[in-house]
Amino acid sequence: MPKRIDPVLDCPLDEVPDAEALIQAAMRWHFSAETGTPYWLERAKSLDFDPIGDVRTFADLALFPNIVNELRTVPAEELIPNGLPERSELFGVFESGGTTGAPKRVVCMVDWMRRWLAFDNRNMDAWGLPRGLNWMTMVPSGPHMASARPREQVRSRGGILFTIDMDPRWVKKCIVEGRPEDAERYLDHLLKQAEFLLKTQNIGILTISPPLLERLARSDLLVDLVNEKVRMIVWQGAHMGADTRHILRTEVFPEVKLRGFYGSTMVLGGAFERMDLTDDDRCVFDPFSPYISYSVIDPETGAAVEYGERGQVVMHHVSKGQLLPNNLERDTAIRVKPLPGQLGDSVADVQPVASFHGKPVIEGVY
Amino acid sequence: MTGPIQLDALGHNGAYRSRDRLTVSDVTGTPVAELSLVPRLFVDRAMAALRRADGVPADRRVAAVTQAGRTFADAMIDGLSVSDYQYAVSRVCGLPISVVRGTTEAIRDAAAHAYGNARSARPVGAVDHWADPSTRTGTALWTRRGDVFAVHASGNHPGVHALWLEALALGYRVAVRPSRRDPFTPHRLITALRAAGFGDDQVVLLPTAHSVAGDIIGGADLAIVYGDDAVVNKYAGNSTVRAQGPGRSKILLTGQTWRSHLDTVISSIASRAGTACVNTTAVFVEGDPTPVAQAIAEELSAIPSLRPEDDEAMLPVKPLATARAMEEFLLGRAEGTKAWLGGDGVVDDLGDGSAVIRPAVFQVDDAAAPQVGVEMGFPCVWVAPWSRAEGIRPLRNTLVLTAMTDDERLIDELVNEPTIGNVYVGDHPTWWFRPGVPHDGYLGEFLMRTKAIIRD
Repeated sequence: MPKRIDPVLDCPLDEVPDAEALIQAAMRWHFSAETGTPYWLERAKSLDFDPIGDVRTFADLALFPNIVNELRTVPAEELIPNGLPERSELFGVFESGGTTGAPKRVVCMVDWMRRWLAFDNRNMDAWGLPRGLNWMTMVPSGPHMASARPREQVRSRGGILFTIDMDPRWVKKCIVEGRPEDAERYLDHLLKQAEFLLKTQNIGILTISPPLLERLARSDLLVDLVNEKVRMIVWQGAHMGADTRHILRTEVFPEVKLRGFYGSTMVLGGAFERMDLTDDDRCVFDPFSPYISYSVIDPETGAAVEYGERGQVVMHHVSKGQLLPNNLERDTAIRVKPLPGQLGDSVADVQPVASFHGKPVIEGVY
Repeated sequence: MTGPIQLDALGHNGAYRSRDRLTVSDVTGTPVAELSLVPRLFVDRAMAALRRADGVPADRRVAAVTQAGRTFADAMIDGLSVSDYQYAVSRVCGLPISVVRGTTEAIRDAAAHAYGNARSARPVGAVDHWADPSTRTGTALWTRRGDVFAVHASGNHPGVHALWLEALALGYRVAVRPSRRDPFTPHRLITALRAAGFGDDQVVLLPTAHSVAGDIIGGADLAIVYGDDAVVNKYAGNSTVRAQGPGRSKILLTGQTWRSHLDTVISSIASRAGTACVNTTAVFVEGDPTPVAQAIAEELSAIPSLRPEDDEAMLPVKPLATARAMEEFLLGRAEGTKAWLGGDGVVDDLGDGSAVIRPAVFQVDDAAAPQVGVEMGFPCVWVAPWSRAEGIRPLRNTLVLTAMTDDERLIDELVNEPTIGNVYVGDHPTWWFRPGVPHDGYLGEFLMRTKAIIRD
């Protein structure tokens, strides 16, 4: 028998729900035995508050403990909502980059992927990117979410997807073990594959990580090919310094639109670079509110920093498919005023923290 | 002047003021300048531009380097007069202003003689140009080993920037990564070189984070790197990187005539505020070292503690915390030795967050004591006994050795010892230098090679 689903959780793909209505509906959904995830139903027993009664606003999301470390070991079945029992409703299981230890796992439901793609498409249209462009991704494959999204995206926008294999954990391992030259060789190996594609195929969109893009920029041949063919470069997966971004925009790829995407597997998506930024503006990212939202806090006190100040980024994901609240990320950013109607903060000039849980943070290639 | 001095990166497309800037503070912690730090992408592109750049004819290079030396030492550059520049270096590095002034003149001089000094290294069998008439019957040609030369500077002394002018004069394109303590000198010098006619793609200033520094060396054909023993060990055996580490310069006093050489000894220890690699680190005394140590201590104790910008200042000044750390390190190493000066500490707090580091004199009872290799960035000397029976073993690993002796067999041994850089016999302080003599071998030995040439 089909379960009755709160329409707030099932709003049309081209709309977004009211933020507080979403949060309250999601609490009822994830913490009711019939529809909730086994993980949260069990976890609720050790919470010192009542999620359904107490979590009603954005600020209330901070009541949750940061549970992401538990995602390193939880069986994936326990993260799938009881309300979505059919395996056909599961899009896939994705893993974090493994920057901060053993990988964390999240499940991505088909419903969420559809919502994300609709948001993604709205952004691309707003950027003036024509449909039907071919796409090349130089982002992690395997268990990572980064290459799954473009695969769906070309299906909805038309065009052909070209991919390469990338294992970011190998690069981190090389760096941690003091073998940076092996990491360099691997990047060159990836770029050689890019060269074959850029030389022979019509590539309109390139998704790539900043370390690879910087390395690509060393090659006159590849820079010429990108400038000749590519309409938009989407960078993601590692931070990009403000000076590097400025040089790429103004000197290396002056004719190509360069757009950042600040994604995190732990929120099943992320934030796109704000529209209409000039070459001299900070790189501001606005999340897919209200499903994905950010706070920028002082990690010592947990309080929000002032707008314009740097703090550590906390991320929340609230949807029918998953509840991933109050995750202290390994990044710092400048807190920026949100767009009208947006939940939480926008962020700018994202950088990794130097160490996390006492371990140095190695960004590597992604 | 309003606001801190802006020290832009000097890239292949001109000056670049980055968003990522490092505050450069003086010895009291007061901000003096903001240094633009460039990212890896900027470094990579600048190094590629140096490689692509066209060469400049030798006569124009030589004239421009000479002119730049004059501009450096005389002119207003980026709003800074030469005395503004000297004041900034003195306050930030904590170097006595007289040392900075002396170095300004040394850089002017080095620029005027850069090509001549470089050519001192040319083998007698080689000519400079293939068009030389002697190439028709076959000869050797002196040519560069590469096109791009990188410099990782140190901040202990602005004089390090006198040397790489030779590379520029020989036709290398040059990239300089400044130290964080003295970005002023290379910024001023490269600005002067550009004003004198060098293109932006001929010589660049690339201030950058430590993690990117390797890209500057990686992007060059040859590099010179200044640093400590760890840096020297890192590049040992690397034929394209010349590492310049501690000098561990020494003085040997034989016979009983030490009192007449005392001025040379004191000057060798304390000149340039004791910060240079040519300052004496250890004095070896044939016979009883006690009266020598005592006399050195007496002389050095008379040097006043003054702020670095004082005309009479002779000692280095550091942020108080840095000074305390150096003192702690020294006193730890000095355990088991006899202190003649500085045994209770060397820090003289100036009360403004900075401190003078005062001289130290310790006596060890064995020429092979490990302390004699401990080089500090201020006047600090280890006095050791020496006998002919010990020979030159304790005198090894030395940039400059001044020997007060007339024993020709001993002089032969010192000259033939591969780990001794320069040998000065008699009353010549270890810092003695004249254009045309090598500092640590000729740089030209490293930058150039010969090839055979014959033509119709």
